[in-house]
Amino acid sequence: MVMRKLELPLSQTQKVRFKRAIERLQSLSSTANSDASVIVTDSIPVNHDDAFLKGHGTSEVDGELLATVCGVVERVDKLVYVRTLRARYKPEVGDIVVGRVIEVSQKRWRVELNFAQDGVLMLSSMTNPDGEQRRRTSVDELNMRNIFVEHDVLCTEVRNIQQDGSLQLHARSEKYGKLEKGQLLKVDPYLIKRRKHHFHYVDTLGIDLILGCNGFIWVGEHVEVRDPMIIVDQKNDETVSSSTNNTLKDQSHTTLETRQCICRIGNAIRVLSNLGFTMDLEVIMETFNLSNSKNIDIYDMLGSEFHVVVTENEAERRRAKRRN
Amino acid sequence: MVGISVGEQHFLKGGIAQDLRTDGRKRLTYRPISVETGVIPQANGSARVKIGGTDVIASVKAEIGRPSSLQPDKGKVSVFIDCSPTAEPTFGGRGGEELSSELALALQRCLLGGKSGAGAGINLSSLLIKEGKICWDLYIDGLVISSDGNLLDALGAAMKAALTNTAIPKVKVSAEVADDEQPEIDISDEEYQQFDTSSVPVIVTLTKVGAHYIVDATAEEESQMSSAVSISVNRVGHICGFTKRGGSGMDPSVILDMISVAKHMSETLMNKLDSEISAAEACEDDES
Repeated sequence: MVMRKLELPLSQTQKVRFKRAIERLQSLSSTANSDASVIVTDSIPVNHDDAFLKGHGTSEVDGELLATVCGVVERVDKLVYVRTLRARYKPEVGDIVVGRVIEVSQKRWRVELNFAQDGVLMLSSMTNPDGEQRRRTSVDELNMRNIFVEHDVLCTEVRNIQQDGSLQLHARSEKYGKLEKGQLLKVDPYLIKRRKHHFHYVDTLGIDLILGCNGFIWVGEHVEVRDPMIIVDQKNDETVSSSTNNTLKDQSHTTLETRQCICRIGNAIRVLSNLGFTMDLEVIMETFNLSNSKNIDIYDMLGSEFHVVVTENEAERRRAKRRN
Repeated sequence: MVGISVGEQHFLKGGIAQDLRTDGRKRLTYRPISVETGVIPQANGSARVKIGGTDVIASVKAEIGRPSSLQPDKGKVSVFIDCSPTAEPTFGGRGGEELSSELALALQRCLLGGKSGAGAGINLSSLLIKEGKICWDLYIDGLVISSDGNLLDALGAAMKAALTNTAIPKVKVSAEVADDEQPEIDISDEEYQQFDTSSVPVIVTLTKVGAHYIVDATAEEESQMSSAVSISVNRVGHICGFTKRGGSGMDPSVILDMISVAKHMSETLMNKLDSEISAAEACEDDES
């Protein structure tokens, strides 16, 4: 678990409580592997008689294997490598990512993913608005703007990683697609671990929560998975592109209750990101419930008191989990 | 600056209309403000102010100069702003020049008043050493390190803090000479005088989004504004300067309403700033 400095003014009692909670967390997280954490130029203990492979983050100097990055030593069969703690997003095929369209080009959209390179979403990888499975024609290409425009937020899956490192995305099922009526949050990618489910529908609050593996998190009003046929009729009737704006304005604004829940979950995510805790639905909902039970005002969640409370709660939660 | 999608814009505007912004703030709530003084030891006074994600530094340098012939009994102050490319990649090269000159002009208007010196927040007569011959020239520089909306308020606060931190050396006119000659002066190394900043105003910017005004807009909210009004108010409640930005026009009654809201907000902001500045000065004294 990576600790980072809190940039918030803490009073004396808060500092003491925070320090104590952090110490408890650190004692809980010590595993067999913690002895294997290295810093640059540490020597990695290796049995030189066995053949071993030097992986990322290592280099052989004067017959010794030294670490070139700070991290944890991992051993997989004969491979010895150093895994860094705070890394850039490392994509894998099948990851669910949330991104923003930066460019509409020929038969593809370029998507910004908080990664070294942009992701590419091909027109053919996107479900046709008709719902038909057919070859995309030039008319489809001209109508690309009816699907996604610049700055749209969308949710896609990584299809494959090309040789130059860029990502190919696809959005073949109805779950994926444009995200509206909510807010996009950016956290560090290493705080989101890969799990079975990244789409979460919190039915008690009517909110969609999508944890993208690249560190983008979408919190928004729940949208029923739409029937593509209905959308096509609407779009074909209008000829001016400003029609999309009109349809949105005609729709009512998000209700105050839903908005409060969205903002509260958003702030819970911000607090967890400030503290450097890994995020999944359980932790986020617990922070959300904690803020509700303590009747903390939504904006006060970003204050120092709530940060200390969340740290203490997290220490409790992990200790309880350990016992079970 | 990254654009936001139509759906997000709609969500943002809806939030402002319902008095619940994306980070949970009310329309008239400021983000936490943190002030650090004395960050540039070579300058006569300096301060760094952070409002949420916006981070600015202001520094004050004093040099001996000659008062202008139009106003021989006043010193001179000039304001210059630099938007650093670390804040936005578009600020590199000449990109940030337009914004810098706009901010400098607005700050000059708010702090220094009109050309004749009327309505100035800073008392220019206190900068005088010898009438018509010698005065202090103050060069106030602002640097934008990180931009997340509400630059003008942050720069105004930073300048107020920097002026509070400014120490100008005491000057003794050593010999009396004839009218057309420059008198000799003796600049003291040890004795300093603090600048009187009780009348320096604070700047409150009200951003109009839809039919409502918000205070302390983030960069996303500013991208959706129809117009913004920045009003500088001093401790007594007098308006020292007024700037309007943005493409759309406003009804005069709206402007009068915004002025009264800004006056109300300026009291809380002034008190908050004063306490932060004195805390920062105390912190600096402890360290040195």
